[in-house]
Amino acid sequence: MAVSTRRLQKELTDIKRDGTPVGIELLSADDFATWYLSVEVLGNTVYEGEKFALKFRFDSQYPISAPAVQFVVDGQYQAPIHPHVYSNGHICASILSTEWSPVLSVVSVCVTIQSMLASCKKKERPPDNDRYVSRAPENPKKTQWDFHDDDV
Amino acid sequence: MSTREPMWYCHECHAEMRPLMVPDPHCASCNGTFVERIENPTDDPRDFAVADAANWEDGPLPGEMDVFLAGLRSILRGPNPSPPVPAPSGSPRARSTSPENRRMSGDRPRSPNAPQTFTTGRNNSFTIRIERSSLPGSRRTVILGGPPGGGSNDDIPRLSQFAPPRPSDGTQQDRPNITGPMLAQYLLALMGPGRGADPFSELLGGMFPGGIPGGGGPENGRWGDYVFNQEALDQIITQIMENSNSHQPVPATEEVIGKLPREVLEEGSPLLEKDCAVCKEQFKVETEDPDELVVITLPCSHPFHEPCILPWLKNSGTCPVCRYQLVPQPSSHPPGPPPAGSSRSDSSSSPGSSGNNGSSGGGSGILQNVFGLFSGAPQNNAPQNEHGSSSSSSNNAGRSQNRPTATRTASGGQPSSPTRRGSDYDIPGGWGDQVD
Repeated sequence: MAVSTRRLQKELTDIKRDGTPVGIELLSADDFATWYLSVEVLGNTVYEGEKFALKFRFDSQYPISAPAVQFVVDGQYQAPIHPHVYSNGHICASILSTEWSPVLSVVSVCVTIQSMLASCKKKERPPDNDRYVSRAPENPKKTQWDFHDDDV
Repeated sequence: MSTREPMWYCHECHAEMRPLMVPDPHCASCNGTFVERIENPTDDPRDFAVADAANWEDGPLPGEMDVFLAGLRSILRGPNPSPPVPAPSGSPRARSTSPENRRMSGDRPRSPNAPQTFTTGRNNSFTIRIERSSLPGSRRTVILGGPPGGGSNDDIPRLSQFAPPRPSDGTQQDRPNITGPMLAQYLLALMGPGRGADPFSELLGGMFPGGIPGGGGPENGRWGDYVFNQEALDQIITQIMENSNSHQPVPATEEVIGKLPREVLEEGSPLLEKDCAVCKEQFKVETEDPDELVVITLPCSHPFHEPCILPWLKNSGTCPVCRYQLVPQPSSHPPGPPPAGSSRSDSSSSPGSSGNNGSSGGGSGILQNVFGLFSGAPQNNAPQNEHGSSSSSSNNAGRSQNRPTATRTASGGQPSSPTRRGSDYDIPGGWGDQVD
């Protein structure tokens, strides 16, 4: 059994036994390759009343290698308007790339992104959104992110 | 870490010393202000000095410098080099500058008295000229410039060719309206094709082994790394985003991994109450896989199943929980306590430090090409990244241990808001791997 399968099985068991944190729901986990979770930001924030979906993709090296995480952009869901979220759903978050650690999990990534949204004061796209989106690779893991913003 | 007061090193008189601190740190003997505090004994500036640094001012050029300049001259000379012009005052130097011979050329003895001048040939669009007189205290002058005077300069493009034609109604002011892109195109034409080889193609070729991608010329807004419009800039940025791998994490060496303490689980072990943070399972004695009975405890006291932690350490030599550095990582994370027995020479095989094999590709190829010629000592420029942060290392030595990642995440910090530049990051987790 692949390492990733065993670890994801463990995470899934924990989610089903203990539930997910408030505002986060498991939408689907049909296999150990792609999971969907929804994220709502609670309380009085700029995203009040909005619900977003996160798509997780795992390779066989998970959790040694980070999952590919992005917001779902389709007929039902849109990417939140946030300085670190591109309109194609790609997320500029250090823990998803250079600061990934196998200690992190699907739920902890969701909590992190939830709090990233919760701390946002002003809805706006990244300044380089159009340039990035026009040339972005399909998989956000192929982007070399550059983290330079300490405000949001 | 050390109880000893750190020493200082003066880069001007090349000596260890204790500086005068007022108003700014400066060398007590030469009053130079280019002084460095030696905080980390493994980062001793003397290790980086060229072998004959003491002779820099008065002695001959270090051999590597000669090689570098000779290489630069050969690049700028183009495909049909005219013979080098002997210096007017002697010291004729007809050196071969082919790449095969660069490595072989050493530091040749030369006349200690005559001023030395050597230039690239005539009829070139570019000249490098190096003059130095042997008088004590004199300075070396390196001149990079246009064609040497007196040559036939008919084929030098004129700036007026690139200026828009003047209107014929005579209302135009005298000065042509020169825009930035126009000037850039002029400069490129001055250096560029139709005038022999592209002088930068050889240098840039080190970055792109298959030739300059999307190369061509100024007409597509792109010339190597120089761009004139937004689209070309986007291409460059995309390329950098896709290609840059110079800051990947440094894996733990086999030697470091081999020395980690291993413990075989048995009944009554205190480890049985703990979890492995990678697989999230509690340590237990009854298991199907005997490998899982072996627990590795990192120097930061975090235990892991051996089969869980080894793949990570071969990717990134850090603790997954607290990011303790078993081997020095790129400067994003402040260096922890210097790891015992870490081997610099092993880590020099990592991607960010491929040393002198300049044609290996990667975004830093050009710098490696250029400075690789300088150093002549690949092990010295291998772990460059660490040295940039050494000045802050003492303050941060314990910080990494106080930053458990899981806590930081759950506490809802600011996940994407480190102040450091992304280029300083290591990239754990097989960042280049295919996922889809």
